[in-house]
Amino acid sequence: MGKRTNGVATATALGLVALAGCAVGGGDEGGDGSGGEVTLSLLTFETPNLTAEYWDDIIARTNAEVPGVKIKKLVAPSAEQRNEYVRQLDSTGALPDIMVAIDPAGLAEAGKLTEFSEKELADWVSPTANSFDGEIYQLPTNSQTWQVYYRKADFEKAGISTPPKRWDDLLAAVDKLKAAGITPFVIGGGAPDGLGPRWTFAQLMADEVYAKDPKWLDKLVAGKTDFSDPLFVNAVTKMEALANKDNVDNLSATYAQAQDDFLAGKGAMYPMGSWFPAAPDKAQQKQIGVFPMPTQDGSLVLPVYTGGGLSVSDRAADVARAKKWAIEFSKLNADGGARYDGLFVALKGYKPPAGLPPLYNATLDVYDEAQSSGTVTPSFGNEAGIPALPSGFISKADAALNDLLNGRADPDQFVTTLNEELEELSQ
Amino acid sequence: MTNSVRSRTGTDTAGERSRPGPPHRTPTPSGRTGGPGGHRSRTWSSAGAFAVFVLPTLTLFTAMVLAPILWTLYTGMTDERATRPETSFVALDNYGFLLGDEEFRHSMWNTVVITVIVVLLTNLLGLAIALLLRRQGRLYSLLRGVFFTPVILSAVVVSVIGRSILADDGLLNSTLVSMGVASPPGWLTDPSYAIYSVSGIMVWQMLGFAVVVYLAGLAGIPAELEEAASLDGAGPWQQFRAITWPMLASALTINTVMLMISTFKVYDQIAVLTNGGPGTNGTATVAFEVIRTAFSEQRPGLASAMAGIMLVVVAAASVTTLKLLQRREVDL
Repeated sequence: MGKRTNGVATATALGLVALAGCAVGGGDEGGDGSGGEVTLSLLTFETPNLTAEYWDDIIARTNAEVPGVKIKKLVAPSAEQRNEYVRQLDSTGALPDIMVAIDPAGLAEAGKLTEFSEKELADWVSPTANSFDGEIYQLPTNSQTWQVYYRKADFEKAGISTPPKRWDDLLAAVDKLKAAGITPFVIGGGAPDGLGPRWTFAQLMADEVYAKDPKWLDKLVAGKTDFSDPLFVNAVTKMEALANKDNVDNLSATYAQAQDDFLAGKGAMYPMGSWFPAAPDKAQQKQIGVFPMPTQDGSLVLPVYTGGGLSVSDRAADVARAKKWAIEFSKLNADGGARYDGLFVALKGYKPPAGLPPLYNATLDVYDEAQSSGTVTPSFGNEAGIPALPSGFISKADAALNDLLNGRADPDQFVTTLNEELEELSQ
Repeated sequence: MTNSVRSRTGTDTAGERSRPGPPHRTPTPSGRTGGPGGHRSRTWSSAGAFAVFVLPTLTLFTAMVLAPILWTLYTGMTDERATRPETSFVALDNYGFLLGDEEFRHSMWNTVVITVIVVLLTNLLGLAIALLLRRQGRLYSLLRGVFFTPVILSAVVVSVIGRSILADDGLLNSTLVSMGVASPPGWLTDPSYAIYSVSGIMVWQMLGFAVVVYLAGLAGIPAELEEAASLDGAGPWQQFRAITWPMLASALTINTVMLMISTFKVYDQIAVLTNGGPGTNGTATVAFEVIRTAFSEQRPGLASAMAGIMLVVVAAASVTTLKLLQRREVDL
């Protein structure tokens, strides 16, 4: 038995490592040919707002407008993991034909995505958003902003009459809430969707870094500055003061759990993206308000990302029809995106449909005000195009943020970690 | 089972009957003394057998296992990145980098810790449960099924269940709070506990496998041996030490090696339960780092080097463990 077991075990070990080694590879298959009807794969992801039914509905409506296309829907394991998942699919030669809201970085430079022409982008407000040396690989279908949602009743109970505008006002509000026995924040941060802390930090970065130096990311990527830059350190220090574990309900909650927790009243404030207004029901819409993240001097600064649309594989079974389907999907999805995902549709001349949730309109007001009389900045962690942070960096930053918020690292250690990771990933 | 068990009187008991003797040569018409025609015929016959029985397997093994391993080892000696068109041969630079990289060493340490916990605990609990479930009856059959259920579930499903129990506001902590514990531990969010929580979930999933292997081993122990020992006045503990445990040596070998290999490649549970966290010094294992480096960071060259190191470690650990456990089987 011994020798036989030995042989089996050795073969198993080799097989095991062969599986681990499946990291390597690539392929170029896309769909099923060039007949009258073509099957195209579409990679989606599900969130509390974007349910399976939502995707099925918009796919069916788009199919009706683009005859001859049959869609095979794929769903990423989670919203956060969709970028990793699409790269896994790519490495196994199964890059989907059409992909929803993926980060094109890496795939674009490697020539795996097809570019959209000026004519194809003519209907959008920001046709050059997220440019890779002038080429656009993702439809700039919508804008998203990040702000703080709050429970009006909690503020009232804590004696906070108006939402804070200045940083000191915010800290005072946190103290008042704690004194009233209310947990100030719901943020989340647990695996696998550790997005909450990143989206909170992006709001602090907007005022402390991008508003003061709009070219900061260019300098960082070019090696002309690093994370020990005083601007960045200020943002980190504020993050630690604001969202440490004493101020947050449950730092292990996933994105979906955190949203449920906020709606269930487990915390007074919820720093989140502009898609959140699609989640509260009619009654909750009245109970929740919105304000931009307070800044040092009280001015309005808002992080914004425009893009988030569909990308098409350069090796799709039928690239032309895949692009046509993606463009049609984006236009048909405009009202649905606004209603069900709180998107600010970036189509020229677009008017949101009537009857959108009050919180959507309130958030849109903040965005409009920021565009007309405030400052609109990039959103840290959502940068796409060139320049951008190296692939995989942001998940390392998420882990480092987790250490910072849980008291396992101070701002200096956080900065050191980020510098080390950036150096390694940029080599 | 080819090992023998030596009784107190020094006579071989079990193995003597079952151990096969040297292969008995059957004379053939074209035996060794046959003419040249017979020899050629035998050679062609062997070649035919090789082509029919060995070649397909060998081809499959080469295509599915050997070639990917060699390709992985080669890629590990390049600086391939998905975002960069040109790739250079860097010899052993990646391996040198990884051996000095704190993050990789941490993932290796995590892998070893999880493996040791899973192998030891699963074997211990598996044996204990197998001994309890050894009896016949519907209840015992049902219980055997219950213990085996997690084995057939996907690791992702098991991890999702585990997460709902171990999350900060999960079932376990809710129970602890209701019992008056003011600040229950962060089973998955505190680095001091997370690795043990992940190991615990894996033990739960793999326990059924160990139980089944031990039950099979127990079923192979001749009842007359235990009856004889009982008649000789041996108590349960003495019977276990002198008969049961030695005769489960091969079951122990199978369990240990299979558990070790399964645990070394753990990825799913980590991805679902902690995503490599909490924080930077979390629960990332080598397999998790391989996937993350290859796909998230798009560095297949470095990831392949990790896989190469993993190959060496897993192979060395498997062979060493086998040798140690087999020595025990032989020396009984």
